[in-house]
Amino acid sequence: MLFNSLSFVVFLVIVLALYYSKIFNWTNKKRMLLLASYVFYGLWNPPLVILLWISTIVDWTAGNKLAVEENQRKRKMWLLLSMFVNLGFLAFFKYGNFLLENFTVIANSAGFEYEALPMDIILPMGISFYTFQTMSYTIDMYKRKIKPARTFLDFALYVTFFPQLVAGPIVRAKDLITQFYEEKRATANQFFWGIFLLTIGLFQKVVMADTLLADTSDTVFGSDKLLHGMDAWIGTLAFSGQIFFDFAGYSTCAIGIALMLGIILPDNFKYPYASLGFSDFWNRWHISLSSWLKDYLYIPLGGNRHGITRMYAALMITMLLGGLWHGAAWTFMVWGGLHGTYLILEKLQKQYLPFKITKWNGIFLAFITFSCINITWVFFRAREFDTAWNMIKSMFYMQIEGEKILGSFEILKVCVVIGLLFICHWLMKNTSMKAVSLKTNPVLLGVVWAIMLFLIIISQGSGEQFIYFQF
Amino acid sequence: MHLKQSLIIAISISIIAIGFWEFYWRSQGKIPDLDDNKDLWALQRAKVDNLSDKDVILMGSSRVLFDFQLNEWEAETGVRPLQLASAGTSPLPIFHDIVNNTNFNGTVLVGVTPGLFFSTTFPEAGPWKRAQNRVNHFKDRTYAQRFNHWLSMPLQENLALVSTSEEGWSDDIDLKSLLNNLSIGNRTGEPPMPPFYAFQYIDEDRNNIMSEKTATDTSFANSVKEVWKFFILGNKNPPEREATTNFFVADAKKFMDRGGNLILVRCPSSGWIKGGEDKFLSREEFWEPLVKSSKAHAYHFEDFNQFKNLECPEWSHLSATDARVFTTEIVKIMIADGVLINPKTN
Repeated sequence: MLFNSLSFVVFLVIVLALYYSKIFNWTNKKRMLLLASYVFYGLWNPPLVILLWISTIVDWTAGNKLAVEENQRKRKMWLLLSMFVNLGFLAFFKYGNFLLENFTVIANSAGFEYEALPMDIILPMGISFYTFQTMSYTIDMYKRKIKPARTFLDFALYVTFFPQLVAGPIVRAKDLITQFYEEKRATANQFFWGIFLLTIGLFQKVVMADTLLADTSDTVFGSDKLLHGMDAWIGTLAFSGQIFFDFAGYSTCAIGIALMLGIILPDNFKYPYASLGFSDFWNRWHISLSSWLKDYLYIPLGGNRHGITRMYAALMITMLLGGLWHGAAWTFMVWGGLHGTYLILEKLQKQYLPFKITKWNGIFLAFITFSCINITWVFFRAREFDTAWNMIKSMFYMQIEGEKILGSFEILKVCVVIGLLFICHWLMKNTSMKAVSLKTNPVLLGVVWAIMLFLIIISQGSGEQFIYFQF
Repeated sequence: MHLKQSLIIAISISIIAIGFWEFYWRSQGKIPDLDDNKDLWALQRAKVDNLSDKDVILMGSSRVLFDFQLNEWEAETGVRPLQLASAGTSPLPIFHDIVNNTNFNGTVLVGVTPGLFFSTTFPEAGPWKRAQNRVNHFKDRTYAQRFNHWLSMPLQENLALVSTSEEGWSDDIDLKSLLNNLSIGNRTGEPPMPPFYAFQYIDEDRNNIMSEKTATDTSFANSVKEVWKFFILGNKNPPEREATTNFFVADAKKFMDRGGNLILVRCPSSGWIKGGEDKFLSREEFWEPLVKSSKAHAYHFEDFNQFKNLECPEWSHLSATDARVFTTEIVKIMIADGVLINPKTN
């Protein structure tokens, strides 16, 4: 079920009515939320709920065993079981065809004549998110960082909590399970703020991403022509805006919906396009994933504890795998590799060419960072290397004759939207939406809110899926 | 934080603004109508599994959609046909789906619009892909999508502002469509597509009629003619007569072998389009070989005096009034030929 759909409006009203009715005690409210979460997921493809159940049962069992088991070898076995099941799901459902394709290429290049038909596998929505979330529980249990969930219900709800089930934020057990132990009710202000966040999130998704930017991006990246430099840049800028509004929109909706239930989810985006450098970017973009990769991949790989070379290697491996997490294609690896390279170059610059960031050079640095990130989006969005390479050639005017496929108004529209997005991120980078709202006159806030509601309603949309559902 | 106050203001202003928006567009002549989208099509396709050998399925391009009126068909035969025709598409993928993915062995009427029927078998070509997308959507639609569509129907039927369409009409009033109508100069150098306004209404059964405006307002009908010219003159792909005929004939044989009753109909066209069809997709070279090799019952509008004088206001489809006459008359002919059975008299 999509947040930007009529069925979700009905679903949410029913869930909220049941949640705040007096017919259920807290345990039954949690059962209702769990059931609602399965319905939320199952309305997309009912049989795939079974994967959620398996993941839940395996990690619940592994977590309980890890809580009492003292034998280190057995503890490791339980951890490996959890990782085998979760990563096995990912390997089969998400990377099955990718692995098969590459195996075929290697086999053929080694002289073995082998041809395999692609497997007809459905990618379960949000599988990368919930497997990472449940794995974090087992790994933290293994490291004795957290206590086991008190009840199976609490754990199952942690794995399946519908607001963040399919596209995050990826929440750690210590931050979410413990919230289920005591009865939660949103205060009036929390509830209204939750509605406000839901409105902002839907506005980002329906109006900004789907209505204003998606078509331009699709036109440019769907073209099989060699494009004019302007068209290539505008298409890339449109995608950079689209993916931000799409994903940040989902996260904002998720945080708002959870808040309406009195549950607090962490921020996932903090105005990333005004980042001053690439490490700053990863502290602001998809924060829950970057912190997951840092804690469960970069640090176990050695982090910065074993010298510079090892640190760079750990950084690059983390970013490459982070890229692969997004999709089963080499283009995603390149995207991750570019980010890894940026991060290494930034560390080298800080070591050998340090300079002070002032308010004067800051915006210039933010602009350079944003431009470099745009180049990475080309590989993220393009499905083929040829498309990506053609785009890069066009963007850097390495080909003289490029075709113009975008109209002037479309170019103007994208420039205005992305320009405002960049300025907005720059102005907001050291504050928060809540802080700004607190300072805003309630009437003005109401008018802005109304404008967003009105634009959402007249945009309507065709219920476009969120981009990150496919990851 | 005075969020409650802000929320009340936001809801109040939104309701007023939406009310004004609805009122404004109604004053501009916009009326609530259903969108002929893949969900509406899938609802009809889903009924196929429950049909008997007495039932009828209509398929083809927009001419079948406009020219065959379900009420008139039902009045003549006692059977309400299922309308699976799809505008701008080749009927081949849909017929292929019915033949290969169902056990239906009743009557299938396939409309032959030469420019689309004989266009292509290439899966990525527009006429094929549009039809195949609908077939795929029927197979792949989620329960959430079904629920969304079910919830959207009363909104579409009662609010003019709910106007997103799959076709992307120039008079759609969702925000994206309104923005798409804006342009500055002609940067691409390509001839711009003429505005394509919706010129029909469809109901829940996909019974489709041409709007009164198209039938009576010549300048509006001319705007649709300009679109046909744009599409037809812009199409540089030659017809694939053999490939399309062979593809269809294979399915036709399979369908008739299991007892199905297959009818081909060439609906009326007129003016510039009829001239082009006669010249480039002639009856002798396209229609007749198809009829001969498929061994289906076949009806060409030119063979009947009562249809010779039917004029299509925009060259390709009949007005609502003429469509009722056409349906009634052609069904009578089919009954007289024994191609259709009238359960009322049998």
